[in-house]
Amino acid sequence: MPLSLIATLCLLTSQAPGPIPTPRDSAFHALNRLAYGARPGEADSVARFGVMRWIERQLDADHVDDSHVAEREREFKILDYNRADLAGRYRDATRERQRLQREAAATGDSTRMRDARPMQEFRELGGELQQLAIVRAALSERQLREVMVDFWTNHFNVFVGKGADRFLLPSYIEETIRPRALGRFEDLVIATAESPAMLFYLDNAQSVAPGSVPPQQRRSLFSLRRRFGMNEMPEQRRQRRPTGINENYARELLELHTLGVDGGYTQQDIIEVARIFTGWSIEPPERGSGFVFRDWAHDRGEKHVFGLTFKDDGKDEGIRLLKSLASEHATMHHVSAKLCARFVADDPPDGCIDAAVAAWQKTGGDIRAVLRAIFTSPDFWSAQAVRSKVKTPFEFVVSAVRATGVEPDDTPRLAQLVARLGEPLYQQPAPTGYAETEAHWVNSGALLARMNAAMGIAKDCSSIPANADHTQLVDMIDQQLLAGTMSAHTKSVILEQLTDVTDPVQARALAVGLALGGPDFQKQ
Amino acid sequence: MTISRRVFVKAGGLTLVSLGMDPLFLARAAFAARRPGGPSAHSILVCLFQRGAVDGLNMIVPHGEPAYYQERPRIAVPAADVVDLDGHFGLHPSLAPLKELWDNKSLAAIHAIGSPDGTRSHFDAQDYMESGTPGVKSTGDGWMNRYCQHDREHEDTPFRAVAFGPQLPRILAGSAPSLAIDDLQAFGLRVPQEAARDRLTRAFEELYDGAGTGLLASSSREGFEAVQMLKRADPSQYRPAAGVEYPQGRLGKTLLQIAQLIKADVGLEIAFADCSGWDTHVNQGSSEGQLSARLRELGLALAAFNHDLGERMRNVVVLTMSEFGRTIRENGNSGTDHGHATAMLALGGPVNGGRVLGRWPGLSVEQRFEGRDVAVTTDFRDLFGEILARHLGATDLGTVFPGYTPSPAQFLGAIRA
Repeated sequence: MPLSLIATLCLLTSQAPGPIPTPRDSAFHALNRLAYGARPGEADSVARFGVMRWIERQLDADHVDDSHVAEREREFKILDYNRADLAGRYRDATRERQRLQREAAATGDSTRMRDARPMQEFRELGGELQQLAIVRAALSERQLREVMVDFWTNHFNVFVGKGADRFLLPSYIEETIRPRALGRFEDLVIATAESPAMLFYLDNAQSVAPGSVPPQQRRSLFSLRRRFGMNEMPEQRRQRRPTGINENYARELLELHTLGVDGGYTQQDIIEVARIFTGWSIEPPERGSGFVFRDWAHDRGEKHVFGLTFKDDGKDEGIRLLKSLASEHATMHHVSAKLCARFVADDPPDGCIDAAVAAWQKTGGDIRAVLRAIFTSPDFWSAQAVRSKVKTPFEFVVSAVRATGVEPDDTPRLAQLVARLGEPLYQQPAPTGYAETEAHWVNSGALLARMNAAMGIAKDCSSIPANADHTQLVDMIDQQLLAGTMSAHTKSVILEQLTDVTDPVQARALAVGLALGGPDFQKQ
Repeated sequence: MTISRRVFVKAGGLTLVSLGMDPLFLARAAFAARRPGGPSAHSILVCLFQRGAVDGLNMIVPHGEPAYYQERPRIAVPAADVVDLDGHFGLHPSLAPLKELWDNKSLAAIHAIGSPDGTRSHFDAQDYMESGTPGVKSTGDGWMNRYCQHDREHEDTPFRAVAFGPQLPRILAGSAPSLAIDDLQAFGLRVPQEAARDRLTRAFEELYDGAGTGLLASSSREGFEAVQMLKRADPSQYRPAAGVEYPQGRLGKTLLQIAQLIKADVGLEIAFADCSGWDTHVNQGSSEGQLSARLRELGLALAAFNHDLGERMRNVVVLTMSEFGRTIRENGNSGTDHGHATAMLALGGPVNGGRVLGRWPGLSVEQRFEGRDVAVTTDFRDLFGEILARHLGATDLGTVFPGYTPSPAQFLGAIRA
């Protein structure tokens, strides 16, 4: 069945109580979910192009020209560094800090240490990553891919503030997540499992078979903590050598990344999985901090988990396990439900989840096929789904920037705004990532913060001409920001507020601010 | 309450406000009337998180323990300087302003308290102390928020749970409404002129009033109520009680604002604030020095808070917490490294004070955790649970601390029966 026909059928069969949605309404809905909202005029252009055709283009991201973003990316020096560069700089900064600490201890003067702030570069690095994410989300033509990068970065969350993750995160995003965002789920699970960022974040780098001893003590894994800096002093480090398995990664792999919390596994399963991953570790910074499998640290004993047996097969044990987990029914269901919560509704109907699972089964976890199943399911287009989800802080800021034609600059302003609204990117310490649901984002302080943010962004609005006729002005705002979906109540309140504002530029700022900060624009 | 918000808005607000009749005033009156004994009779918990792991041994000094002096030749607080409490423990001299609270039995110290999880990572340990689930990383919300989810008695005020800082901390994250306030005076819409600010506030209020039902509508209503209530409380005009001076710095400013919210009777039940600078790896100092300066600020701020609130302290408990303690032995840099158990302070009218609570494990090598740190003899959930149950009246601790149910048999007796 041609896709355009499916779209028509979906729209016709949706249980809309009101008028049948126009192609423009459908385009606006698709732009709100597959993209970070519509730019001025974009709902119309997507409607003309054909919504389903546009969705197919978004799924085929590699063939969408994205030269403008490529140009903007050049401003970010972080993209010029590879992991080995950063590892070296991090090691130097750690040494410098230790030197300053020794100096401070000897002289009793810690002011120099405070002033020098050797780790400052790595704090700024985190800020630059946030800005880069905003530039890409706001400007990329490959919108769906950016949405999926955000989804997977959050699904496989790594906290940038934990020790070595300060310098491991850039390569995690660029090399682990981004190239696979629309690929196969299995590849993503394997890539994150092997990523130094995840190995450090969830402590697997320190997980060793009990009683195992490194071949050369001098350059041992045991000094990993020192090399990566865990804010611990030498004496303590010697006493805190890893002597056994660490279950953290194994637990989150099952609970969050694959099977889900109700995936039917036991504590014994977690231990078996942790044993399988013993030896999956990180090279020291002087060797580039890449992935390394340490044979000596691997538990060679027999492990039984999920009906499989693993024995003395080195790193392949972990790969075999990950492949098996990626195709478990619980995994398909868990991840599909999460995708539907992102694209359809906070509490998604079974129909779209089942469609996604079926596509997963048929294609062996091809993410594009799973997404296509969601976007063509009647649930995605139903009246209950349209404008039912509240934007996350990141979605709110980026969609406001897109709608108002604001070009994200190279200052941390917008990234700080997202942080102030409660979602500082890459700074979620818990491996759960940020929540997707309205209940987590809507509270009184957060809404006031959104109103303030809206007034700030409105000042730079360039997509709407100043207009002395207030009715025309509000109509224009309705069309450009909300594709004509602004409620009559919102319109009348804004018009009332404009009555005694004579300066057209001031009127525009006020009206756009109220529209962005009001209830209509919070929804997607 | 019969005057709806819609009427208030349509009537132009200002008239009603000038008569002292705005619905927020009524809501507040209704809030106060529900509680016997006047507006401030409900219980309040103020928590300060000493991020960075405070050295419990130099905060509440075991000066009767020879091992303490043997292990810390350079940084131990000399017995002569310690403010003795019970012959065995004493306050660091910088905490001397709190001695009068000890004497009037409204200050207790809890020693050898901490997490059953042995991690020495700040990141993990803080996370566990805030999620209330040691060893379980995937808990999404914080224990204070879970308390608010299950004991909803106070839910008619937006100020029930307030964190002071730019973002909501993990401990208050979750589905129950809670506010993060960076600065009381700047809370609300940021417009310099008052008239313009009021007007914009009313405009947004009206916009959301049309949003019908749902979380957007109810949350915005709470937000605007909070703004209005604060406006009435007029934070810029606040003066602490006569003779009370808060110390300079973030902590003093925060405690002043908490006192102010308490006196405004806006329904505050839980206040939370961070207090950093305790990670003393290098040159920690003894009676004077780095840690001493931090403790001085803490002691002065808490003493000022206590005096500022005066009579109201009979319903207030202030609790300090920190993710873990520090090594018993000083390190090569005249500092201390990450350890295990630490000490906490509880003060206020409801506190069963004048005592150092918790079983003291001793400092000899065989009494230590992993041969080096103060052992944990009180799970922090036992103390937090006792305060929630006996002070705030929490009824279901099992949902606040999943996987663990603090039992009254384990309670230390930190709160008066």
